[in-house]
Amino acid sequence: MSKLTVENVSFIYSAGTPFEVKALDGVSVNIEANRITGIIGHTGSGKSTLVQMFNGLIRPTEGRILLDGEDIWADAKKISAVRYRVGLVMQYPEYQLFEETVEADIAYGPKNMGLDEAEITQRVIESAKFVGLEEQDLKKSPFDLSGGQKRRAAIAGIMAMRPEVLVLDEPSAGLDPAGKKSIFEGIRKYAEATGAAVIIVSHSMDDMAKYCEDIIVMSHSRVAMTGKRNEIFSRGDELEAIGLGVPQMTYLMRLLAQRGINLPQDIFTVDDAEAAIIELFGGAK
Amino acid sequence: MSYIKIRNLKYSYKDDNDNPIPVLRDVSLDIEKGEYVAVLGHNGSGKSTLAKLLNLVIEDYDFFEGSIEVDGVDITSEDMTEDDIYELRKKIGMVFQNPDNQLVATIVEEDVAFGPENLGVPREEIRQRVDYALKTVGMTEFAHHEPHRLSGGQKQRIAIAGVIAMKPDCMIFDESTAMLDPMGRKDVVETIEKLNKEEGKTVITITHYMDEAVRADRVIVINDGKIILDGAPSKIFAQAEILRSAGLDLPQCADLLLRLREKGIKLEGEINTPEQCAQTIAQALNR
Repeated sequence: MSKLTVENVSFIYSAGTPFEVKALDGVSVNIEANRITGIIGHTGSGKSTLVQMFNGLIRPTEGRILLDGEDIWADAKKISAVRYRVGLVMQYPEYQLFEETVEADIAYGPKNMGLDEAEITQRVIESAKFVGLEEQDLKKSPFDLSGGQKRRAAIAGIMAMRPEVLVLDEPSAGLDPAGKKSIFEGIRKYAEATGAAVIIVSHSMDDMAKYCEDIIVMSHSRVAMTGKRNEIFSRGDELEAIGLGVPQMTYLMRLLAQRGINLPQDIFTVDDAEAAIIELFGGAK
Repeated sequence: MSYIKIRNLKYSYKDDNDNPIPVLRDVSLDIEKGEYVAVLGHNGSGKSTLAKLLNLVIEDYDFFEGSIEVDGVDITSEDMTEDDIYELRKKIGMVFQNPDNQLVATIVEEDVAFGPENLGVPREEIRQRVDYALKTVGMTEFAHHEPHRLSGGQKQRIAIAGVIAMKPDCMIFDESTAMLDPMGRKDVVETIEKLNKEEGKTVITITHYMDEAVRADRVIVINDGKIILDGAPSKIFAQAEILRSAGLDLPQCADLLLRLREKGIKLEGEINTPEQCAQTIAQALNR
């Protein structure tokens, strides 16, 4: 059984008005625990609407969302409990920091869950460690942190609830390369330590190829493709046709193929490309 | 004479206790008319502050030293009047990160007309400018659409058209592709290049995407308020260690070729874009 199942879900914004828009149209996907799944799609493809359904922020117009096989809307009064089990990190989450210290901000979620002091403290330390915040940072005001650190503090606040499903919408948007890397490393650490189902929405094909094992491709409110990373990124022409692309190294392999130099198809990162090309030149000298 | 001439620029903002927090420490820089310059730096390096000072979006001079000249005018002079600031903003236009924060009207062409209307441009000329601006960004067919129904990349191109309609000499793009999907990014980057190559605009683009920066003619790296590197992309991206210590990275192709060379594979040629990279590898294999 999948951790999270989206079963034939549709969603209509402003239903019954002249501005009616179908944001999701018959979407079905399965999301597994112990994996990082990437969701890609053009602007307006329905990605953000879909992920807001995972923790019950939006209720499907049609269809069901199953968490461990149970419909999260079976009893609408219990939906807030789902929000502790499915953590959603929205875009630019640092705008939602508000406490006086980083520590208090990270503790906010666990406190609302009614955990005891010792457990809360432990979770704050653990979450800070996942995202690479130092102990001295915990006493600071969130507003004295750098942009990248603020983002990591906000993500730690969701991790502290230790969700079984962690969803992140564009977690690295606007960050410099070093900041971006530390965000993704933090997400990976959380995934490995907890076995959670982790879902990342991003416009960066390079990041998706580097960090995600499974990929869901959305286009015009529907699921266009699902599969393992190498299956998806070997369909470059189809991805381009729906406004997406392939990782830059995959693109380089295609350019080489056009020049009659054939290399393996499952090349996504600089590491992959380096190994394959060295082999082509007859090994390292 | 340089179009933009910055001399010994220092700038600090104040924290809650009125203590100065230095953002720019002694920056001197010349940018010529028609240049295509990419500015790189980690978050908080001072690059956006520099850009915002160029058209006086920041006007707080409490902790300010040095001088900025634009087109021969000292914009940091106390003699700058409101009218002078207007003139300056006609010369240097800015496009920001989030297209949703830059669109003001409910119809695309009205949005593009907003700038020139505020400049008091005559009606006939506004029409011409709007048509020209929409054509330049490839959005003519959307003139009567509602901006909020467009994709991110399309919205951003409308924001760019709004700036073009003010007929600036120079356009600054402050992470204007950060929120866009791959197609949107490609369209905006191509629009930026067209503005430089075909329209002769001076372009300054601030970005975290190394793969966009390699396409500029000149790359400037700012770290902790100082310029640490300034030169042609192939020269800048050969300095992996300095870039990484500044929180940046190499474009992937540059990284790949550098690693291959370290492994003893002889590769000669440009290293920056995937096209150049493919050619360099093919040459080495005699294909």
